[in-house]
Amino acid sequence: MKKLFIALLCLLAVKSAVAQKDLLSIDEHNKYIYYQVVQQPGLTVDTFQNRTAYFLKINYPKNKVNRDEPTESITGTGKLLMLTGISAAKHIDGEVNYTFNIEYKDQKYRYWLTDFVFTPYYVDRYGNSVPQPGIDIPLENGASKLEKGQLNNYSIQISNYSKQFGDRLKQYMLMISATPIKSDKKKVITTKDW
Amino acid sequence: MKKKFLLLLIAASAFSYASKAQDTVKTTADAPLVLYGSVDTYYKDDFSGHANIPTSFASDNNSVSIGMIDLGLKKTVGNASFVGELSFGPRNDQSIPTSGYHIQNLYVSYNLTSKLNATAGYMSTFIGYEVISPTGNFNYSTSYLFTNGPFQNAGFKLTYAFSDKVSLMAGIFNDEWNVYTSAHDVSTFGAQLTITPVKNWTAYLNVATGPTSGTEFDLTTAYQITTAFKLGLNAATFSPAHYSFGGTYGFEGVALYPQIAVSKAVTLGLREEYFKTKEASDPTLWTVEAHPGAPLPGGSVLGSTLTANIKAGPLTFIPEVRLDNVNKKENSTFTDSNGAPTTSASQFVLAAVYAF
Repeated sequence: MKKLFIALLCLLAVKSAVAQKDLLSIDEHNKYIYYQVVQQPGLTVDTFQNRTAYFLKINYPKNKVNRDEPTESITGTGKLLMLTGISAAKHIDGEVNYTFNIEYKDQKYRYWLTDFVFTPYYVDRYGNSVPQPGIDIPLENGASKLEKGQLNNYSIQISNYSKQFGDRLKQYMLMISATPIKSDKKKVITTKDW
Repeated sequence: MKKKFLLLLIAASAFSYASKAQDTVKTTADAPLVLYGSVDTYYKDDFSGHANIPTSFASDNNSVSIGMIDLGLKKTVGNASFVGELSFGPRNDQSIPTSGYHIQNLYVSYNLTSKLNATAGYMSTFIGYEVISPTGNFNYSTSYLFTNGPFQNAGFKLTYAFSDKVSLMAGIFNDEWNVYTSAHDVSTFGAQLTITPVKNWTAYLNVATGPTSGTEFDLTTAYQITTAFKLGLNAATFSPAHYSFGGTYGFEGVALYPQIAVSKAVTLGLREEYFKTKEASDPTLWTVEAHPGAPLPGGSVLGSTLTANIKAGPLTFIPEVRLDNVNKKENSTFTDSNGAPTTSASQFVLAAVYAF
């Protein structure tokens, strides 16, 4: 029974890691990509665009966004930190810059995150973690520039981030009104009249 | 019972993965509490049989010795940040003149606007190329320019970013270097102009001047020319104040730092330094004890250090060979294996630095 527990746990751990890494695929340019097509009946291109713009403004305010009207798409760039260590105190290994593309047709949209480039951080004299200038490692070249454990860890973090990006986008696309939900003012109770 | 235990295990592991997934997608805003630091140890063999080269740290000869354990914590919430960095060990003791003090950085910082930052506390100096932490230097032994310049400054500074390529820091600091409290007042003015002329090339023009601390002008620059090749340079000149706490001598020098990565794990680097101690305004005040890290007044030294950084995960092995030559025997403090004065000194160091 004990062996069964251990085997089950190992299987669970391996499956989980593999599943997270497998979220990234290789595109026709031999680049890692997180790609999804989402059917959303009843929504028009305009609605998709407005809700995407709001989604990016609220969730990724630091991302650079380009809106391309003729091709009905939104593109941009962003970055995420690569962290290691225990959850109470993290170490920042570096950052990954990426580009995102979101395109629309009536009743469906697709998006992808790609061009993942890792820049290692170093701790400067003031204790700040800052990018090492001139060291940019495309994720595709990671095998020759990074250690295997590092690359696996970063791939999982990028996959999780990409999935979260897509899940959040989907939530905003489903919102009936793409405006912040304002909480009602608290009801004032007067004790004079009763 | 076993089934319940199994379910508990599965639930716990699932929770663990879920937690990890959440932690790993956090971005720069309100970053988690970050722990960083290092430990370092070394073996040094001076070819004369006794320690000769007087620059900071790695001072023990023919001994497996320790540097320091360095532990830093930092956190940013919104526009407010703090950094607290403690260190213990001989490297700490040699970097802070006050016995029993163990703080390398302790400051708070606030972004007043997206371009203007205010910082106050005790922090590493803005002057120079090399730093106290062994993870911040390529070479394990240190330069004469580093040894004779400031290590830390306590004070208040404002940094304004004009653009991605130009920023200016100006601040007022305690009258003495390297100590937490001022001797008399807060009278050292410091400024740093940071310029990024082209991508991957940054230059810092620094000045620190005060009636007690003296005046140092410093240029520190580094250019990552290719992914594999980096070139650094440090040049400085120091003039003592009339009532200098550190003595009555000045210095000037320049150091060049070419480095090339020859593989994923190995980088080779050279430090070629020229350093001169200026003539003392009052030679009778000069003592070797007061100025251990410099040639005698009027003397100069050429230091050549060949270093390799061999990375094994967070651990870096640093083998290093160093040869220093003083221009004249009468300006030298080096002695040969018989104890006779000589103009040259050489040493081998093997260090291991673990960074986290």
